[in-house]
Amino acid sequence: MKTRESVLTFSQIITLVDTLARFHLKGEAQQYLLGYFWWILEPLLYVAVFYIVFEKLLQNRQPDFLYFLMVGKLTFIWFSKSINQAANSLDGSKGLMAQLNLRKEIPPLAVIQQGFYRQFVVFGFLLIFLVFNGYAVNAAWWWLIPLILVQALLTIGVGLLAALLVCVRLDFRLLIQLATVFLLFMSGVFWDLNAITDERLRHWLMVLNPLATLIDAYRQVLMLGASPNVGKLGWVLAETLLLLFLALFAYHHLQFWVARKVVSR
Amino acid sequence: MTALVALEAVCMRFVTKSNPEYPVFGGINLSISAGERIALIGRNGSGKSTLLRVMARIFAPSAGNVHWAPGVSVSMLSLGLGFRPDLTGRDNALLSCLLLGLSRKEAKASVERIAAFCEIGAFFDEPVRTYSVGMRARLGFGSALMNRSQVILIDETLSVGDTFFREKAREALEKELTEERAMVLVTHGEQQVKRLCRRAVLLEGGTMMADGDPGEVLAQYAALSASQA
Repeated sequence: MKTRESVLTFSQIITLVDTLARFHLKGEAQQYLLGYFWWILEPLLYVAVFYIVFEKLLQNRQPDFLYFLMVGKLTFIWFSKSINQAANSLDGSKGLMAQLNLRKEIPPLAVIQQGFYRQFVVFGFLLIFLVFNGYAVNAAWWWLIPLILVQALLTIGVGLLAALLVCVRLDFRLLIQLATVFLLFMSGVFWDLNAITDERLRHWLMVLNPLATLIDAYRQVLMLGASPNVGKLGWVLAETLLLLFLALFAYHHLQFWVARKVVSR
Repeated sequence: MTALVALEAVCMRFVTKSNPEYPVFGGINLSISAGERIALIGRNGSGKSTLLRVMARIFAPSAGNVHWAPGVSVSMLSLGLGFRPDLTGRDNALLSCLLLGLSRKEAKASVERIAAFCEIGAFFDEPVRTYSVGMRARLGFGSALMNRSQVILIDETLSVGDTFFREKAREALEKELTEERAMVLVTHGEQQVKRLCRRAVLLEGGTMMADGDPGEVLAQYAALSASQA
């Protein structure tokens, strides 16, 4: 008889994460009348709400505010939704963990992968929308590849750590929700970070919040056709890799602890 | 005979609100060899499921050692592993196979075997939320049978479904349990112990009270239950 280690190989983990993500999206879409259309509709409704409040009610002076807001909000939602869902993923896999020696990274990674699939469609829509509204495709758009890659890695690092924190105490679930709302206000989603005149303050805001740098970089590329600040992007990459290392180190050492914590909860 | 799994002085403690060192069991010495069929019996809360999870590498013991023979795979036979009610039986079966460690190619091939075992016809391609309890049990057991582990741990899984299905499940399991494999079965069913197992272990008061012939251990369990009723 063919024997198997209970630990999955790397390629099996990738297959499992991807299948869990795709099946979850399929199951989710089947619950709603508008199905997969919600992938686009939900973020656009968020943009619409912010647009009405800031442009129509508060008479915002930001030029091209709709496009400015779309770039910021659509990239922010990818991060915030993935983090909040990943935070609950380990606790939500109690049944599976009670039955199976499963790598504990798999549930949060599957949730984050779902976000990648949704965001792939959202980015496609955003680019087409920008082109139809006069923003020309140019060489700077190649920067989207590293930008998306860095944001994806950042989402994985933060998502993995968020899931662990919720294992420690369920209270972190609420704190993480609050933190993403705080980030919404601190990342320049509906206001321009470059409007901060205090250069030192702006510098530290971007250093401490990699998402702010990323959103600003997306706008540089998509709206101004310019390359982002490579130095700042390098700093974000360094922070991201540090977070990823911390997350993977923690998961490596806490596999059994997570199972006991979640199953006995 | 070399043990597939060997537990040496295994102890398990849980943290509870009233007791940070709540003892579940301690000093468990148990060796499981190929071909063995062991019934793990004991009252509710005696730590049977926890002991299975230690053997399945889900929990690390608080003290003591567990030795697994090189390359040996140990896992729980679980009904409806990772099942989602919104997905079809086919999708859930595929997912279950991947969770059990099969490659995508193996999983796809196994799905057809699961469909044949379940005998639920066209419902196999319908969402599981539309299934009856019996149909879910069939799909769950059919998927669980794709577990290729050498040591199979069963936690009262065989007590589901109607009489006909239970008999079919028992026969299918008998067929799967070759002499190269071992089984540990947690159950309260006396008949299941007698029909499926050649050895029984009684967990009581946080220790292994008896280990031996199923008939004798069951009698000891019955006497214990009667004395404490």
